[in-house]
Amino acid sequence: MHQEVDVAVIGAGPAGLAAAIKAKETGAESVTIFERAENLGGLLDQCIHNGFGLLYFGEDLTGPEYRDRFIEKAMDLKVGAELQSMVLDLQTDRTMKVASSSRGYLTLRPKAIVLAMGCRERTRYAINIHGSRPAGIYTAGQAQRFVNIHGFLPGRRVVILGSGDIGMIMARRLTLEGARVEAVVEVLPYVGGLIRNEVQCVHDFDIPLLLRHTVSQVHGFPRIEAVTIAEADESCNPVPGTEHRIECDTLLLSVGLIPENELSLKAGVELDPIVGGPVVDEARQTSVPGIFAGGNVVHVHDLVDNVTWESEIAGASAAAFASGAKPPGRKMGLKPGRNIRYVVPHTISGKGDVTLYMRVKEPERNVRIKVGDVLTSKVKLAVKPSSMEKVEITADELGKLKASGNELVVECLTKEAK
Amino acid sequence: MSTHQTEVLIIGGGILGAAAARELSKYKVDTTLVEKEVDWGWGSTKANIGLVCQGGDCLEFRPEYRRSKLVWDSIPMMEPLCQELEVPFKRVGMMGVYMNEDQRSKFSKMQSRAEKIGITSHQWIDRDTLFDMEPHVTRDALGALFDPVPAVTDPIKLNIALAENAEQNGVHAMLGTEITDISRGVDGFEAKTNNGPIKARFIVNAAGLYVDKMARMVNADSFVVYPVKGYVGVLDKRMGDLVRHNVWRVPPIPGELNIIEPTVDGNVIFGITLMQARRGDFSTKAEMAEAALKHVQGIVPELSAKDVIKYFAGFMMMKNFELGWHNCVVEPSPTVPAFINATMGYPGISACPATGKEIVRMLADQGLDLIEKTDFNPRRKDITDFSELPDEEKSELIAREPRYGHVVCRCETVTEMEVVDAIRRGATTLDGVKHRTRAGTGRCQSGFCRSRVISILARELGISEQEVTMAGGGSREMLYKSKQLLEGGD
Repeated sequence: MHQEVDVAVIGAGPAGLAAAIKAKETGAESVTIFERAENLGGLLDQCIHNGFGLLYFGEDLTGPEYRDRFIEKAMDLKVGAELQSMVLDLQTDRTMKVASSSRGYLTLRPKAIVLAMGCRERTRYAINIHGSRPAGIYTAGQAQRFVNIHGFLPGRRVVILGSGDIGMIMARRLTLEGARVEAVVEVLPYVGGLIRNEVQCVHDFDIPLLLRHTVSQVHGFPRIEAVTIAEADESCNPVPGTEHRIECDTLLLSVGLIPENELSLKAGVELDPIVGGPVVDEARQTSVPGIFAGGNVVHVHDLVDNVTWESEIAGASAAAFASGAKPPGRKMGLKPGRNIRYVVPHTISGKGDVTLYMRVKEPERNVRIKVGDVLTSKVKLAVKPSSMEKVEITADELGKLKASGNELVVECLTKEAK
Repeated sequence: MSTHQTEVLIIGGGILGAAAARELSKYKVDTTLVEKEVDWGWGSTKANIGLVCQGGDCLEFRPEYRRSKLVWDSIPMMEPLCQELEVPFKRVGMMGVYMNEDQRSKFSKMQSRAEKIGITSHQWIDRDTLFDMEPHVTRDALGALFDPVPAVTDPIKLNIALAENAEQNGVHAMLGTEITDISRGVDGFEAKTNNGPIKARFIVNAAGLYVDKMARMVNADSFVVYPVKGYVGVLDKRMGDLVRHNVWRVPPIPGELNIIEPTVDGNVIFGITLMQARRGDFSTKAEMAEAALKHVQGIVPELSAKDVIKYFAGFMMMKNFELGWHNCVVEPSPTVPAFINATMGYPGISACPATGKEIVRMLADQGLDLIEKTDFNPRRKDITDFSELPDEEKSELIAREPRYGHVVCRCETVTEMEVVDAIRRGATTLDGVKHRTRAGTGRCQSGFCRSRVISILARELGISEQEVTMAGGGSREMLYKSKQLLEGGD
């Protein structure tokens, strides 16, 4: 196929849909989404719980409802969509190779590309869980798909390791299905997901939450029969002598998400080693001209609403690039300082208002975020690694910033630290 | 159940059983191959690291042992065998790295032993050349002994290919068939199984982990073997260039193996922490993982736990383990005529071509008539690997069969049609599909493809998704239907 495409979007999850719509709305003539799965919307189809769109629409929607709004809009705008179409190769000059069940094997070179591949779940092997290797151990998202798409339950006695959002949501989902969730086990001293999920999915159902604990051993074959739980020390290792056994037929893992950047690497896109996603400027352009990125492929977001906003930036920038506009440039780098794990975007031009997204390393109370020498006025009562912090800076403020060596340090300051 | 009659009964569908079956299928011999699992090679073979070595290149090599002869007789046979069966084979060579004079002298001894039996391919490599050839090897290295001949293959694919080719040539295969007892009568053996009795004139006992248990059933256990468990880790393909050869060193702890090796699929694997363990207990331990990592970091310091995407343990049945001079058991029982015991321990893959032939020769010695078939077909087609094809062929393939355009396993780029093909050739489980296509072996460890492969298995086998298993038996993936538990169902 020799098809002229202005903007190609890789991935049709919430990020890809938002980017494609925005690209079309801001003037790109032809926009096509390439999606390896069978349907548009990414994982939103299996997220049948509510809590989507509170910020973006001011409404409480389910995943499929949130998805449908974007799919309808994309269809109205005549965004192209190729399903069961996987981008196998991406080169620095934006040449893409796609295997598609409906369109065959395609090579094309769009004027601009948006990476929207999302993220994948950490496995038991990524966190060193030893013991037997039976059936019955799934990532929380995998189990969510079994239950909500296939209509089957993995088991009836479930232990969940990790307190990420999908894990806690699955704790509630399986409880509602009549399974018994024996425990949600978290290696850190605080919950990994949103507070609302901790309350609504774990505490409201009286599910035991074991903080500072981990699974040290898996038992049983060919199906899991039990796990050994142990207290975890400061470096997250099991403390000998604290082990106890929990019988179960299922172990779910909700132990973190990894931005999916294998294609980005093929294209030579520079990645942030801390986050695992592309280094981007405020237009969400990566280190490779004409390749943009938005959503969980850049950094793992807490809320889909934020994925949508960020990807809209990427989509609009891709459309602008496709029509020959020059991206804003990378005047100043943003450097994570005290208690900040990362900041996105990684660079800013100083030319316009910009929203910075960041995560803290440790929970803290009564803090303010400082960017360069500008202290944001609003005191944040509590910051947690599970929630993204957003800081808006106006062009005016940026104009007053004194960048030392083209670098702005972003810090999270308590009263004492200040 | 009616009695199944056969001339030769091969017990065990691992690499040796399959190699013997394939070799026998060249002759007009009525052969039956039984395997207790629902697929081939799930005992020791699937955990083999796939190294095709020369025998003379390991420290505990004893030229007078049968094991050594079987390995070096196999050297010229392996590559043509892999070609006939369309099994991956990559000549990577072995790089024995030394960091001190003591290690160098051990390599030196090894080399002179190898030379005595005619293995002359070893070359001494100086430090700079070593770093050119293996840029990630520790700067503590002083040099290496390099042997360009050793290769790697895919153990389980070779096992499956041998079994498939044997079946093609008339061998009767019985999967999911476990032998519970064997008795001896005037006209041969009778084996009791869960699928009815089998009568046979000859038995080849290639039961791997249970080789001594089988032998004991007819008092043919004239040997002692120890189950030794080994731990292996697999790295993300992103680290695929960490080593180019099988790189190893003299282990600081005797009895360990310190190896890091590229696989035929572009991963790098490392290990092998060894321990004696209860047979069949394939579990791993954090200590084994840490030891493997630490020891191999002594060769390649960049090796990092964060790049490990999978680890597993497998078993070898070792003879003379306590002496450190492991030998194999490939011999007719001295007490029970027409009963051959065969277990290699390691290196089972390297030695399988010659061992298959040796077993057939032993059967002939025991009175089996061997008449060559004229219509033996040595060739077997592999499943088309879409990801390896050049662009034009990819294009043609999808045009002909759109299911090649539907990528099911994103990490390893496995298409729906490859999964369907694997099922049509006999895969009935997720592991069966995985071993034939690599679906689920990548960095997400089936996070994406698992539910999709379950759907394809259910569709192709005409069963419910709930009946699909990881590895047969009690390994179903989804135990209940939605709402079943609320309705008081079980």
